[in-house]
Amino acid sequence: MSSLNKVKYLVGSEDYETKPFKPYNKITCDFLAEFSKKLNLQKNINKISDLKALAFWCRKKNIENLIKKNLSNEMRIGLGLIFHITPSNIATNFIYSLFFGLLSGNSNVVKISSKETIQSKIICKCLNLTLKQKKFIKLKKRIVIIRYENNDNYTKNISYKCNLRVVWGGDETIKKIRKFELNPSSTEITFADRSSICIIDSNSIIKINNFNLSILVEKFYNDTYLVDQNACSSPHIIFWKGEKNINRIAQKKFWNKVYVIVKKKYNLERSSAVDKYTLLCKKISFLKNNCNFIKYENFIYILKLKKLINNLDELRGKWGLFYEYETNNLNKISIFLNKKFQTMTYFGLDKNACKKIVVDNLTDGIDRIVPIGQALDISLNWDGFDLNKSLTRIIEIK
Amino acid sequence: MNFLKNLFNQDPFFMHKKEIFFNEKILTLTKYHYKKSPIYKSLIDKFNFKFKGKNNLENFPYLPITLFKELDLISVPKNNIIKTLFSSGTSGSGRSKIYLDKFNSLNQIKTLKSIMTKFLGHERLPMLIIDRDPRSNTKDNFTAKSAAIFGFSIFGKEYTYLLDKNNKIDYHTLNEFLKKFHKKKFFVFGFTSFIYENLIMKINSKKINYKMNNALLLHGGGWKKMEEKKISNKTFKEKLFKKFRIKNVQNYYGLVEQTGSIFVECQKCNSFVTSVFSDVLIRDNNFKVLKNGLKGLIQLFSLVPTSYPGHNIITEDIGAIINKKSNCKINAKHFVVYGRSVKSEIRGCSDV
Repeated sequence: MSSLNKVKYLVGSEDYETKPFKPYNKITCDFLAEFSKKLNLQKNINKISDLKALAFWCRKKNIENLIKKNLSNEMRIGLGLIFHITPSNIATNFIYSLFFGLLSGNSNVVKISSKETIQSKIICKCLNLTLKQKKFIKLKKRIVIIRYENNDNYTKNISYKCNLRVVWGGDETIKKIRKFELNPSSTEITFADRSSICIIDSNSIIKINNFNLSILVEKFYNDTYLVDQNACSSPHIIFWKGEKNINRIAQKKFWNKVYVIVKKKYNLERSSAVDKYTLLCKKISFLKNNCNFIKYENFIYILKLKKLINNLDELRGKWGLFYEYETNNLNKISIFLNKKFQTMTYFGLDKNACKKIVVDNLTDGIDRIVPIGQALDISLNWDGFDLNKSLTRIIEIK
Repeated sequence: MNFLKNLFNQDPFFMHKKEIFFNEKILTLTKYHYKKSPIYKSLIDKFNFKFKGKNNLENFPYLPITLFKELDLISVPKNNIIKTLFSSGTSGSGRSKIYLDKFNSLNQIKTLKSIMTKFLGHERLPMLIIDRDPRSNTKDNFTAKSAAIFGFSIFGKEYTYLLDKNNKIDYHTLNEFLKKFHKKKFFVFGFTSFIYENLIMKINSKKINYKMNNALLLHGGGWKKMEEKKISNKTFKEKLFKKFRIKNVQNYYGLVEQTGSIFVECQKCNSFVTSVFSDVLIRDNNFKVLKNGLKGLIQLFSLVPTSYPGHNIITEDIGAIINKKSNCKINAKHFVVYGRSVKSEIRGCSDV
């Protein structure tokens, strides 16, 4: 057996349990809070922004908020064993998947990417440190983190054994995993490839002062450039609401500020610069006369759409390539919001106005509506699933 | 479009008034592809290039090299295409597709001949190829490697392949070849990494019955493997000399996207040189042209591509233009290549 198909246990062992716990049980909540503390004590933690965000997310106060928000009067308990297949490219995704499973009262086997990252190293170290404490002994067999490649046998066995399989995309991974049969009584949650949009009210941009514009643009930067627009929830298309001449002024004001901030913060690598240029050429050759092109050096590429197209989700950017479209009537965009769209970030509009676009028009897509800056904030409502419910079973009592 | 004709009859490194005629020819090519390739036109339109007025070399629009992996870029009717070249595709997913018609294909050969004659002379030489016979697994299409072997075969005769079908060194064939030709000049050609692996590393000198000091050795292709092994061009040469007493070792730099107008090595300056058929610029991450001496992305010009818009491309290779040594007689632009820019880790959430 080569080292690749061997299963490596980073946390826990093959001796894991399958029985359910109650959601938000005390020991689990304490564990998360303790983990948060341990994580905060790690060297250089302040320099690794996603770990910092993770520690902040599972701090005691936030867990208490989650309990308040999510613990229902219904009688619910966990499903048993969850097998998680997590992606490589958002380095901390696997730990959120684990914590969702743990909080909802499940035992968890989490397969992580074969690529080792600094994040996964530190997280596993902190999990092991926390699990060493006597008071968490009951969780020892409920947290397993593994890494393997090309071991269909393992995937096959655990897929049949688990009560729920959680698969984070891409689509190719999901298709591959679907070949492995589940137990008839088990279910699956898949997070397929998604795309996201942003809606900005032009008048509000014109009114905003320079200081607040900087704050807004920093938030926009975090939603996009921070992850090179690779996250499903990072916006690719910006919709500007307003009259033509107002839009023009607002766009200029906004992008000029983005340019200033990107220039200061973003490191466009050499190979990305060529790949970004290639992507641009590819999209222009696809859109042809349906677009105009504006650029701020290689930092920002903007393709202004004249008309919206079907399969709008195919217009994806990377490394700061955006599409934009202007309209005074946002209802017009609703028919283009297909199933592939996940997050709508907004600025300058009332959230109810955004809600209306989706709910009044019964769009196929959009599962999240959040202000600019919160695109990457993961929660127990994701891709249209309420994980508090999907990861537990309800016991009806009359 | 037969504007290469007068260039074939002159010294390919004679740079007198190059700027003037080279810019003119690049403009002509830009116009030509703009007219012939709808995709190229749609791009140039968006990039706001003005055909009128005076243009510096750096102002002309260029395509990214990776676009040839993504799109079918052709500037002639499809049924004029006589062969398609494919890049070896070691990095990234796709392979470049280069469509050639007869005219373009012939110009590649003529250009190569013009550039290489200085090193190899006018006569065809017995040719030892450090590879296996590409015909043993050929289809209608050419990989960059077989294209290079076929391209350089115009300088050779008595073609002999060092490797057998299983990539094993065929000592018997080698000795037969040397027995006949070792007393006079003969031509050895191969990819850099193949020369290294087979000639420098694997071959057992004791099994070679003849001297190889009359060889003219030409090699090109990626330095990736050499970089990994930390072998510089200088040590590469030293090793060849130590083992075989080969003095004439010539490196070249070229892309399948611009086959023909290769850049040969200036032995004095340890760099590559441009010719009347080619030019080079170095750009930073924002595609601003860099001053001599600074490292950046290599942009390459070639007057050869006519059946596809590959006359002006920005590559992923890193290089710098350097000043030639004062005693160097080649008046052309000198540059060094440091290798391919490293792909960064992907941040996002597709792909497990």
